[in-house]
Amino acid sequence: MRKQRQWIIVSLLLVLGLVLAACGQPSPAPSGEAPSGQAATGGEAGGEAVTVRVWTHQNESFNAGLQALADAYMAEHPNVDIQFETFDYDTYIQTLQTALPAGTEADVLQMFGTWTCSYVEGQNLDPVPDSVITMANAQEKFFAAPLAGYTCDDTLYGLPMEFNIEYGAALVNTAIAEESGVQDITAGWENWDDFIADAAKMSKFEDGVMTRAGYNFTAGDALGFSFYSLIVQQGGSYLDSDAQQFTINTPEGKKALELMKRFVDEKLVDPLLFNDESNWVGDSFFQQTSAMGLVGPWVIAEYAGDFPDVAAVTKYVPLPYWGDAPKFVADSGWGLTVSANSKVKDAAWDFVKFVTLNDENALQWNIASGTIPAIAANTQGDPGQKLITEFPHFEPFLPLLQYGQYVGHMPDRDLLWYDITYQHILNMLQGNESIDDALSAMEREANEMW
Amino acid sequence: MAESTISTQPVPQVARKPGIFSGRDRAIKIFLAATVIPMVLYMAFWSLFPILWGFTLSLFEYSARRAGAGGFLGMGGANPYIGLQHYVNMLDFSEEAPKIVKQFHQSLKTTVLFAFLVVPLNMSITLPLAVMLDSIHRRLQPFFRTFFFLPIVTASVGVAIMWGFIFHPQLGLLNGILTAISGKMVAIQWLGDPHLKFLGIPVALLAVIAAYLWQDIGYNTLIFIAALQSIPQSLRDAAKVDGVNSLQMFWHVTIPLLRPTILLAAVLTMISAFQVFDIIQVMTNGGPQDQTRVLVIDIYYNAFRFQRMGWASAVSVVLFLLVLVISLIQTRLLRTEWEY
Repeated sequence: MRKQRQWIIVSLLLVLGLVLAACGQPSPAPSGEAPSGQAATGGEAGGEAVTVRVWTHQNESFNAGLQALADAYMAEHPNVDIQFETFDYDTYIQTLQTALPAGTEADVLQMFGTWTCSYVEGQNLDPVPDSVITMANAQEKFFAAPLAGYTCDDTLYGLPMEFNIEYGAALVNTAIAEESGVQDITAGWENWDDFIADAAKMSKFEDGVMTRAGYNFTAGDALGFSFYSLIVQQGGSYLDSDAQQFTINTPEGKKALELMKRFVDEKLVDPLLFNDESNWVGDSFFQQTSAMGLVGPWVIAEYAGDFPDVAAVTKYVPLPYWGDAPKFVADSGWGLTVSANSKVKDAAWDFVKFVTLNDENALQWNIASGTIPAIAANTQGDPGQKLITEFPHFEPFLPLLQYGQYVGHMPDRDLLWYDITYQHILNMLQGNESIDDALSAMEREANEMW
Repeated sequence: MAESTISTQPVPQVARKPGIFSGRDRAIKIFLAATVIPMVLYMAFWSLFPILWGFTLSLFEYSARRAGAGGFLGMGGANPYIGLQHYVNMLDFSEEAPKIVKQFHQSLKTTVLFAFLVVPLNMSITLPLAVMLDSIHRRLQPFFRTFFFLPIVTASVGVAIMWGFIFHPQLGLLNGILTAISGKMVAIQWLGDPHLKFLGIPVALLAVIAAYLWQDIGYNTLIFIAALQSIPQSLRDAAKVDGVNSLQMFWHVTIPLLRPTILLAAVLTMISAFQVFDIIQVMTNGGPQDQTRVLVIDIYYNAFRFQRMGWASAVSVVLFLLVLVISLIQTRLLRTEWEY
């Protein structure tokens, strides 16, 4: 009996130990991540010790560039400690969506401009103080498209770090062009007829099956940006004057889809074989199953290391356009915002100013991260030349940036792009839906968002 | 003589109810409570509470983006209480139904089709396979058991990527074989062509089922082998004495004796099929034209990508009820009242 009791006591202790271990504190965060409970003492960035927590998504080159600027800032402000906490992209979106309403976010938040206004509605973000920059000065300094994402009801809530461009120039494999008999492709095209003729020459077939697309534009981003850019090039708009309803089923929308259908009919791409699910444009281009593709310049940094031979013969060439200027729609891109709940707003804004408003620092980050500057002055003159020397493939994009138009504030841009626009346009291109049906369905489904 | 006034009646005593932790086995009871209660609390916190919370959310037009706008725990205020409206909306079968309702209908149909194809296919492969493996030489059995069980311990995402390559229209193994056989280029878009159907079932769904079965069959095979080995040899010997052949042995002895195991395997496979997510997410992402969009994919997109938590919770409740009802029906149909 005594022995049995001893066993019971030992077992109880063991269970208790396990329960305590399970309920205990997690192991300390790895270096580089800040302890979440650390209180930041507010005040000026001059005297009292201040800790500024910064949340970013995990992108090696983005974060290395930001860390370098943070180190420089801390050297200038020894009382300020900038602490980064990073999240993988999907987790970051979910963390922002839940932490901001709950008020548990960091002081400085890396934000994709297009998301900004949805958080402003919940009063989670701090307006940019005039002491940092006024709206008028910001409009003068930054390109319109990246800045617009951070502008909600004529108030600025963050500052952009990059210009996110997905339309305006096509990725071209010059070796394939030459081999297909297309002369001097880098000179560009006068109109869509010329473009189609060249792209068709580069398509390749075997037993009637397309083995190489002349122009791969059937990915999720590419279809959305092509469609909405073609609408604005005709002087149309896919949002009504109050920006409260979508107006997609319009003559401009129809003409845009007719051109895209023509690309398929003239065998520039087989939308059954080339789409987001198979032969995605980036993979396909670098595997040389697409001679031209529509995707932003960020793709070069992503693939050049693995496909150096293809990267060596790759150039961006501006696309033809309708109207008097190569207008296009663009997302707002990554930038920095400050939480409305931050107790160290002054220090937080001072750091944001250091990173985004100082031309040299901003350019340093763009070069480190391989992104196109949001500051107009950094795309011209010596800074522009410096950028082109580092990233020659940016060159065709720089003259286009002034024509960029922000995609517009809407309840859910991803829903419009990937669940509505991509699905219906791909269906239409695959022959499962008429142009009129696709337009009408897109408009109806998009308006269900409001 | 006066009678004695002293009562001989026994003094009534309040009967003491034995305490939960009293008696000779008190120590054992305490031990059991100490070991079980933490687990019950753990399960209640991590399972029961989320289920109830999910059901509660389904009664609200809830989005985490609006949680700070007012109300209690993010509900109410900007996330208003709408009662059973989500469930009512699910019953809108009209042409004008919103896209999310149509996607829910499609997902429900696809999930049921997926599960009802997977279970019989799985059973019809794993049971005969287990009988075959059970009949081979004992020395070889571990090798084959390992061989068929290996896919189970392979990451689902890896399996999905591998099968995605097999079905790739231009670079895939399957089309490569067809090209070699036919002598001309074959580029069938197995995972992305919405027109491609077999007996009215989207080929993309069948392709996903093939990948799912490849990964899943080892599990049930192992369960059946274990069950086969527990059938008393005396029953088989008795059947042999009665003159049954191998096929009769399988149909009239093995199958009836395996009924409880078949029930268990069928229920587990059905539940697992209703929860399929990763293989489909990687191979087709629910496409083409939502032909492989199952309920869990629908829930994932609505909850975490488009932040319609209230609607996603309502869909989760439907999935929960679906699994519950089908499991109960299966249990009822395959119930046995004896054991060997």
